Amino acid sequence: MGILTVLWEKWTEFKRDFYKITLAAMMAPLMYLVIFGLGIQTTSHGEPYLNYLIPGVVAMSTMTGSFSAVAQNMSVQRLYEKALDQVMVSPTPLWQFIVGQIIGGALRGMYSAGIILLLTLPIHTGLIYNGWSFLIMFLNGMVFATIALVLSFLAKSYTDAPRYQAYIIMPMSFLCNTFFSTDSMPEGFRQAVNALPLSQASSMIRGIATENGFSPWGIGILLIYLAVFSVISFLFIYRKKNL
Amino acid sequence: MIEIKDLTKKFQDFTAVDHLNLTVRTGEFFGLLGPNGAGKTTTISMMSTVLLPTSGQILIDGRPLTRSASEQKRKLSVITQEYSMRQDMTMDEVMEYQGRLYYMPRKLIRQKTEELLSFTGLLDFRKRTVRHLSGGMKRKLMICRALMIDPEILLLDEPTAGMDALSRRQMWNLLRKLNNHNMTIILTTHYMEEAQSLCERVALMEKGRLDKVDTPANLIRELGAYAVDETSSGQMLQSRYFQNRAEAIAWLSDRGEDASFRSTTLEDVFVERMGHHLEKK
Repeated sequence: MGILTVLWEKWTEFKRDFYKITLAAMMAPLMYLVIFGLGIQTTSHGEPYLNYLIPGVVAMSTMTGSFSAVAQNMSVQRLYEKALDQVMVSPTPLWQFIVGQIIGGALRGMYSAGIILLLTLPIHTGLIYNGWSFLIMFLNGMVFATIALVLSFLAKSYTDAPRYQAYIIMPMSFLCNTFFSTDSMPEGFRQAVNALPLSQASSMIRGIATENGFSPWGIGILLIYLAVFSVISFLFIYRKKNL
Repeated sequence: MIEIKDLTKKFQDFTAVDHLNLTVRTGEFFGLLGPNGAGKTTTISMMSTVLLPTSGQILIDGRPLTRSASEQKRKLSVITQEYSMRQDMTMDEVMEYQGRLYYMPRKLIRQKTEELLSFTGLLDFRKRTVRHLSGGMKRKLMICRALMIDPEILLLDEPTAGMDALSRRQMWNLLRKLNNHNMTIILTTHYMEEAQSLCERVALMEKGRLDKVDTPANLIRELGAYAVDETSSGQMLQSRYFQNRAEAIAWLSDRGEDASFRSTTLEDVFVERMGHHLEKK
């Protein structure tokens, strides 16, 4: 019930800011596709580079869409509007609030990815998306929504949200199997980057899209991230003394 | 009944609330008074679980109030000092969100929203977002939101701050009416006439500690029910308090034209008790 309340709140926000949200979700990925995919026309492993790029950009969109849906919103609600107090006082179990935020954030990530899929539809790439692809997109969205929640509970001012975006999301966008393979990275650094959730999501979505299959370990890694950050966010909301 | 037991809140080295012990009876109108920084808002924040105590506990009807105590929280509603609302929501959405958070059926949410917004004169502005409301309208909306769920306990943190005299009186009447329906109300305020007019008992707090708990009448009686104010030229106003009227009038007759006679108020009690501490500083 509480989960539905949070989803209703997210839905009202989505309806109100529909054009802003849609435009924001389109802008950066579209630029990447135009510049790296169409502008600089190259090939990768004998295939058009676009075929490599699109799955990465889809994974990246689930990350940025879900992260920004939760991080900015929650930081502003907690620190500026004090609207989180309304939830804290209410009898709605706080775990339901957290789960609602995670699902709501993941859905926004899915929406961002869906826009990219629609935009790239006219380019006949031959890439394949199936139920597994969408499950991985949703899971990746959940992971980043949970990370966003934890960071917004840690934030000391509502201007911290854009900083997290710059320190965490931006480097991951470029490094994690989105624009180029991690294979060319130095030993040690490659393993570290591969352990990041976006690297796994990109790799799995790309594997499915190019019919090369994917390692179920990737799903396991995403689930580990989800579990760890969920536990941290539950601890924060139940135990943090000055929320 | 609300029992506050040994409640302490520390922010690093600063102790905002220091071993506070209080009992508020069911249906009582109770005031928390004190100068700025006395710990009133921190106490209310702990009673609404927004802040967690460093030590001690709060019991509602004998059961501890925690962030996971949904049954206890269902009885509570809070009007905070700051406007704690989503700025981009309309009034209707703010009310619906509140109703949903308290598991109210949709039909009842619509009915109560209509009723409360109409009562506070906000109905015509229901589609306006919070961002575009005046301070007074936001304050009224917060009251509507708090009353939406028919709480058993209402926590009010300076609810009339920034209100004009007329709105304040309307608010007092509303609070009296709610209290007559056996709602327990805990109020913090800087307006002593508000506390004197509304509260059955008041707690005087200073530096996070409880100084005194009693009825406003008893506190006034203890100080002296009659006051004579005297302003000598170029000096500060000085008040002298008397237990009986004849004594006060006798004193007054010995003074010049600068002295005047009146009844003692809760504000006098506050100034006398808290003012001495301030002078010592």
